[in-house]
Amino acid sequence: MLKKEQNDYLTQTGPGTPMGELFRCYWMPALLAEELPAPDCPPVRVKLLSERLVAFRDSEGRLGLIDEFCAHRGVSLWFGRNEQCGLRCPYHGWKYDVTGQCVEVPSEPAESGYAAKIKLQSYPLIEKGGVLWTYMGPPERQPPEPEFEFCSVPPDQTFTTKRVQECNWLQAMEGGIDSSHVSFLHRGDLSDDPLFRGAAGNKYNFGDLAPVFEVVESPGGLYIGARRNAEDDRYYWRITPWVMPCYTGVPPRGDHPLHGHFWVPIDDFSCWAWSYDYHPVRPLSADEVAAMRAGKGVHVRYVPGTYRPLANKDNDYLIDRAAQKAGKTFSGVEGIGMQDASLQESMGPICDRTKENLVGTDNGIIMARHRLLKAARELVGKGKIPPGVDPEHQKVRQAALLLKRDVPYEQGAKEALVARKGVRQTSV
Amino acid sequence: MISESARATSQSESAYRVPYRNSRERAVKVIALDSTSAALLDELARLPWNGARFFTAAPPIRENAPKEGALKAWLADLAGHTMDLVAEVSQSDFVVVVASAGEDARSASVIAEICALRHKTLIALVVPSADDEDAVLASLKQLRPYAKMLVVTHGRDYVETMLSALRA
Repeated sequence: MLKKEQNDYLTQTGPGTPMGELFRCYWMPALLAEELPAPDCPPVRVKLLSERLVAFRDSEGRLGLIDEFCAHRGVSLWFGRNEQCGLRCPYHGWKYDVTGQCVEVPSEPAESGYAAKIKLQSYPLIEKGGVLWTYMGPPERQPPEPEFEFCSVPPDQTFTTKRVQECNWLQAMEGGIDSSHVSFLHRGDLSDDPLFRGAAGNKYNFGDLAPVFEVVESPGGLYIGARRNAEDDRYYWRITPWVMPCYTGVPPRGDHPLHGHFWVPIDDFSCWAWSYDYHPVRPLSADEVAAMRAGKGVHVRYVPGTYRPLANKDNDYLIDRAAQKAGKTFSGVEGIGMQDASLQESMGPICDRTKENLVGTDNGIIMARHRLLKAARELVGKGKIPPGVDPEHQKVRQAALLLKRDVPYEQGAKEALVARKGVRQTSV
Repeated sequence: MISESARATSQSESAYRVPYRNSRERAVKVIALDSTSAALLDELARLPWNGARFFTAAPPIRENAPKEGALKAWLADLAGHTMDLVAEVSQSDFVVVVASAGEDARSASVIAEICALRHKTLIALVVPSADDEDAVLASLKQLRPYAKMLVVTHGRDYVETMLSALRA
């Protein structure tokens, strides 16, 4: 459990909050590249860390992420005209470039210099791996570009989606660290989902429902290892990397693509759940991509024209009690992504952790909270750069492997947990 | 009409969680496996807890499991009074052992045997005192056969954090 003040500390990410300051140390996914497909395309509203912004791609293809509201009288620039290297407010024609600099105030003579004194808040926006990333911290501390493997492989080897999740970021992210729920909540999907089924390692999940966990600090966050009994005096290990503040990698199955998540705060009551799938050494097959687009694996189906899941709180997640009773799904909700999201949203907009009763197998979550609290305090108190900012911390990989019982995974999986170009994943 | 899930997960509905204590006090037993860990537990024991009790284990250099009678004096509380390992484990909700990386942690096997007999979960924490990977690996190797949850922490403060999180 956490005390209320600790819970508030971890869950509040708006301007001026300690966790907000922590998030501002990192590049974060902000939009999918498909949302700004071409120069002068329509602008897009973006809300991150409780700040309302608007994103656009100007006539030269440059990306901008600026304050949503015109400095004149507060009109939303979502209505803006994206033309001639700027976003023009339709109300009185004020125009801004991608840096938020006002470049034209039609009612004032250009020579007056009035426009030069107007500047909207703006953040850098870069494209990498089909994702538009932003950094919302002080310019002088801008880190190098992200180096997560999923955004560094060729485009035909990676696929990323996002969905809105209607709860605080932390209770969503903790689901990614807590692998003990898989044997219950996602039980049916290991056999049925085309992006999970058929792996030799799945039999160990079915055969041993009581995994033993080992949690070890890593330079960027944690490794959470779950071991199950295997034959020939071996253990079947599944190792999840967590890179601060909000990245996880799900251990692989067979030669299926690797997948994982980011959870990025929109505000204190909602977040973006980013889901990536990639293969280190080969293109994703047409069938794999089709399955991902169809909402299989960690992806979801959407309300058309939105990034809101089709199964959502407004339709009780399309829960199927007959399927639950029949054992087809454990919770009655279909799909791994929404199985998680539905339960995490049910905790309330911000989970009240003062009422928790944790057990030993929650040590991954306990340690993640501890590391986040510590990092935020050290950032605010001493200006210390938190773990995970260094791109070297991001070059991690999830792994699944069999090891002799006397071989610690910290040794036996050491190379497997590093992203190496041209080297396939370690999987069973 | 708003769905039940949409209404139930709203901010206003969060205020209606039943305000009561949903669990009884934990009986957590925390055992130091070496003298360095014992010093750490001595500091922690001074903090307010919900019933956690702190012990040191008997000297660990044993090749065979001790006889049943010997277990009655196998633990010591932090004041040095001998305590009955079987009784303490029996009365616990779960047991935590704390080992300093590189120190002899074989006494965990005795504790684990009693935990298994009494169906209690054993959690093991390894606390490195320096950046010595070999020492950590050695401790993990000793503890791995026995712990349901094994944690390596690079800070002594994590022990306090974990016990607080578990309502000890």
